[in-house]
Amino acid sequence: MTKEERLKKRHRAEKRFRFYGLASILVALLFVVILVQNIFSKGSSAFKKTVITTEIFFDQDLLEIQNGASQEEIMEADFYDVMIENLIKAYPAKDRAEEDELLKLFSGDAEIEIKKAFLKDNNLLGKTITLDLTASDDIDQLHKGNYPRELPEERRRISDFQLVIYDYFVENKKISKNFNNYFFNNGDSRDPEIAGIGGALVGSFYSILICLLLAFPVAVLASIYLEEFAPKNKITDFIEININNLAAVPSIVYGLLALQILLATIQLPRSTPLVAGITLALMTLPRIIIPCRASLKAVPPSIREGALAVGASKFQSVFHHVVPLALPGTLSGTIIGLAQALGETAPLILIGMVAFVVDIPSSPVDPSSSLPVQVYLWSESAERGFVEKTSATIMMLLSFLIVMNFIAVYLRQKFEKRWN
Amino acid sequence: MNNIKIKSKNLNVYYGDKQALFDVNLDLNEKEVTALIGPSGCGKSTFIRCINRMNDVIDICKVTGNIEMDGMNINDKDLDVVSLRERVGMVFQKPNPFPKSIYDNISYGPKIHGKGETKSELDQIVENSLKKSALWEEVKDRLDEPGTSLSGGQQQRLCIARAISVNPEVILMDEPCSALDPIATAKIEELIDELKKTYTIVIVTHSMAQAVRVSQKTGFFHLGKLIEVGNTEKIFKNPDNKMTQDYITGRFG
Repeated sequence: MTKEERLKKRHRAEKRFRFYGLASILVALLFVVILVQNIFSKGSSAFKKTVITTEIFFDQDLLEIQNGASQEEIMEADFYDVMIENLIKAYPAKDRAEEDELLKLFSGDAEIEIKKAFLKDNNLLGKTITLDLTASDDIDQLHKGNYPRELPEERRRISDFQLVIYDYFVENKKISKNFNNYFFNNGDSRDPEIAGIGGALVGSFYSILICLLLAFPVAVLASIYLEEFAPKNKITDFIEININNLAAVPSIVYGLLALQILLATIQLPRSTPLVAGITLALMTLPRIIIPCRASLKAVPPSIREGALAVGASKFQSVFHHVVPLALPGTLSGTIIGLAQALGETAPLILIGMVAFVVDIPSSPVDPSSSLPVQVYLWSESAERGFVEKTSATIMMLLSFLIVMNFIAVYLRQKFEKRWN
Repeated sequence: MNNIKIKSKNLNVYYGDKQALFDVNLDLNEKEVTALIGPSGCGKSTFIRCINRMNDVIDICKVTGNIEMDGMNINDKDLDVVSLRERVGMVFQKPNPFPKSIYDNISYGPKIHGKGETKSELDQIVENSLKKSALWEEVKDRLDEPGTSLSGGQQQRLCIARAISVNPEVILMDEPCSALDPIATAKIEELIDELKKTYTIVIVTHSMAQAVRVSQKTGFFHLGKLIEVGNTEKIFKNPDNKMTQDYITGRFG
């Protein structure tokens, strides 16, 4: 082979390598785009809900309360009849069967919505107001265009008559799309139109908070001791190897551990953020220790020597100089560990967080769900309304993760000091 | 001839199985500069790190024999290294200012030793230390800036000021100019000349010229042994030992 040929071959090899690298990046980006596009196209409609504008007349005889009734009296009053009487006027129905079909176009929460409107303004007795009532899931999906109305009637959940009413609503501009406050404020529900991630949000918040409070101090102190104070011997090496191994243990194993120890032996309350937090803390501990030790190791020894040489004790040199310098790395490692914990599903399923919980937890010892488990639960539901809610929950989860990772990167870049 | 400040007798140092110093007997005079020369890995740095017990940091390091300062055994296991290092300061090969402000770099030592209770006392210590290290004029208007923003030579003088700030008796310098350009080196050498009026100084150096310029006494190390020690003038003009002769004339090293 001549010199020119060898040179050409070398250049070709370099070009090939560049091409492979570029191609890999493009393939990876393509996958990300497909994922995000899929989630957005399915999920973005969940942030809107369909409402039907309805006139409500508060009939004193039906409500059986007086003007100026107290809050408790209103709470106890029966709004069911008021609801029925008003809703059937939304469309001229001929008989009882048609009225039933008409009523099914409204959500199961219509009665509560009417009651809430009444509670807000105490002066409504004997008056008529216009209210935006949440539509049922079927109408919601139909209005958002997710529902194929071309199917024959026996394969549709909406009857021909209901379609007629829907078209009547559309024609008279009685149907519209509002911001879906239920999605953020409500707990889980069997009815997709009123189901929300409120309970899961609070549950995840409590879990991560407990995880942080337990894992952060233990991990930081353990790393400082191991990195700065522990004698370099076989026992320290053994501990280090085990911490690295623990970080690689599948998370479901931590779930099994929690099931056996926290639930069966200590008998902590099942399905609660408390147990979830402890489980996630166990899992996150090694994942924080590793970056924390790495950032301690990255502080140059000359800084320690400089401090020792002016007569600082070992403790002073570590806590006055090394730890502050390692803090940005430690914090960003912690945040990334917490972000992983936030998205963790498997161990939470084992400790019973898959339970169907309607109420929003008011403390860490109330049964609750969490964001990833909510995704898991809804993804198994057949209703179309849950499909968009699953994707919307994933969007929420992803945005939390992106924000956390952004904070981690920001902390590292802002506070990392340079030394020579 | 000045008094003897530090006296080592049969000093041996081991790193694990490897012996780094063999029976070193070396006396350092008070308020004088002693230069230690010799090829790399000959044990000069190991020797000065025995004086402030910096070898303690290395787990596998073992020191036997005697090393005394004013009659106090430095190598005593019960000795408090913190108060020893308050009396014996050190300047390292590469400038290693803390990534903090110039002021904090210098006030740190006095603070941890409880010197300078009030802000004005600390200000005074910082000013004096910077003046003694000939840095005051250059940095007096920017004491809040990070020490790492200074040039290499200024950083090294900042480290000297940091060592001075706790008012030590001895200053150890481990090749303080090896990372500096000739102008910065000249400044440090001038400074050493000034500092020897107050402090006992030990300097490890690879530059013969520097040893001649700054020191009154020179020790030549080779393979962990102290080959020859004496007045700098004598060592460089008329050494007793053939090996010293070969080293200073550049025949090996």
